[in-house]
Amino acid sequence: MKIATRNLTISYGGAPVVGDLTLDIPEGEFTMIIGPNGCGKSTLVKALGRVLKPDSGTVELDGRDLWSYRGREAARKVALLPQNPVAPEGITVSGLVRRGRYPHHTLLRQWSRDDEGAIAAALERTGLSELADAQAGQLSGGQRQRAWIAMVLAQQTGLLLLDEPTTFLDISHQYELLELCRDLHDEGRTIVAVLHDLNQAARFATHLIVMNGGTVVAQGPPSRIVTTELVRDVFGLACDVLPDPRTATPMVVPHAGRVATAP
Amino acid sequence: MIRVPIARRAVAVAAGLVVLLLAAGVATLTLGRLGLSLADLTSWPPTGKSKFVLERLRGPRLVVAAGVGAALGLSGALFQNVTRNPLGSPDVIGLSTGAGAGAAIAALLFPGVVPTPAGALAGAVAAMALVYFSTGTGFRHPGRLIVAGIGVYAIGTAIIQYVVYAVERDKASVLTAYVNGSLNTRSWEQAATIWVVLLAVVPFVMLLSRRLTMSELGDELAAGLGAEPQRTRVAAVVLAIVLSAGAVAVAGPISFIALTAPQIARRLTRLPGPHLTLSALTGALLLVLADLAAQQAPIPVSLPVGIYTLALGGLYLGYLLIREWKKGTL
Repeated sequence: MKIATRNLTISYGGAPVVGDLTLDIPEGEFTMIIGPNGCGKSTLVKALGRVLKPDSGTVELDGRDLWSYRGREAARKVALLPQNPVAPEGITVSGLVRRGRYPHHTLLRQWSRDDEGAIAAALERTGLSELADAQAGQLSGGQRQRAWIAMVLAQQTGLLLLDEPTTFLDISHQYELLELCRDLHDEGRTIVAVLHDLNQAARFATHLIVMNGGTVVAQGPPSRIVTTELVRDVFGLACDVLPDPRTATPMVVPHAGRVATAP
Repeated sequence: MIRVPIARRAVAVAAGLVVLLLAAGVATLTLGRLGLSLADLTSWPPTGKSKFVLERLRGPRLVVAAGVGAALGLSGALFQNVTRNPLGSPDVIGLSTGAGAGAAIAALLFPGVVPTPAGALAGAVAAMALVYFSTGTGFRHPGRLIVAGIGVYAIGTAIIQYVVYAVERDKASVLTAYVNGSLNTRSWEQAATIWVVLLAVVPFVMLLSRRLTMSELGDELAAGLGAEPQRTRVAAVVLAIVLSAGAVAVAGPISFIALTAPQIARRLTRLPGPHLTLSALTGALLLVLADLAAQQAPIPVSLPVGIYTLALGGLYLGYLLIREWKKGTL
């Protein structure tokens, strides 16, 4: 599963949000995209997920223009979980996950044993088997986000795109979700996630893409590219970068705030 | 054993609606001064009085009511799926009135030149084009949709009143039929019209139904799953316009069936999904019941059915407006 952009430009009728971007998403990696608000990271992920059509340039999936695929054909290869999805009223968890099977259905082949297997596996994988018949609207924040992950897992794609999957979660559920993503990557999936938290990105990503002003300013393994200079140039934040005492990955310690004095 | 995920509850509700619809149909044929006895109904072929009632009086009227109700319910379900809001219904946003104006122009100003259904369709398309372009955001923002709909509704009503006044100066009944919708003195020709429209449109709706289910997840998820939400939306609006225009062509702009039927279906099942079949059945049941009330009400004049649906539906619209306003979606 190779996905890449070639001179990709996307503008919402104004100045380009992503401009002339040529980028290869490395296969088999857990890629995280970081960058300041408005840098085009969400727009890029939507373009990769066949939600936004390029104004010029292309997104290539296995060497072919993504928009030359039929909708369902592309959705069997690439799954996208957008920011802040809303569940339909009255839907159960398993009903939600079942919607992830849509790309595998055709007019004649509507429901099969494969579907049941994929749904059961996705529920199992996200620890939701017991909650299969619960109303999606009544789940806690962490459970709800896992239900959405289960839906894209049921899609059975080699590539998962997650747009800010940890937003609106409290901190313990953020890490729970990131560990789930890491495990899914360990099982052989290519994962691309947009994230806000630099330290979390540096801890979990195997490949980091840093965006600013609609283009990629740095990419590579977190330990190589996260530096004081990068954070200052991209985010305008003065900081130290230290090795994380637990994982030895780069850890950003901002200078902002008062230095504590002994009482 | 593969457990095909058809909700048993939806099937049970559908069966219940069919039974009620049949009961309402029997009541329509048997109640009142010209009502038939059950023995008349079961003896075939009908003769004498029962022949007259079945073939000329209540038979076609009942068949038209069921067809128009189903078309309006389905049209409402499609529109509410597209706008993702209960208030985005064809009767609230001026589609029915636009079709009514088109029908009035065709039937009264150009009788025999322009077929009424064609006039209704042209009026419906014109009304939706007006709404679509005057909101500035298409069908996306429910608040704007309603405001634009009020304007289009007013224009449509004005056109109807002008046309009826110009042609049929003294006939209040003609005016109410074109403004509110009526099922008085329907013919088999009209029954055929609405059922042909239904039979032509329903296969396309069925083809679209899985995509409509996906649309409920929102544009981004639906697109990511390959369900092409934009194309689905266009197709749903076109089908809904044809259904509404067909209904208005034979019965006038009967209000609030399209608004209420999908909402009742949703509450009966408490399930997600566009509820297409159930909305059609509920719409048919509502209109047959409303027309039964119109025929049997203990008042000296027989009011057109549209006045009954307007009175009851108006209350429901008020309730919905308050609820949506509290939820902050307006």
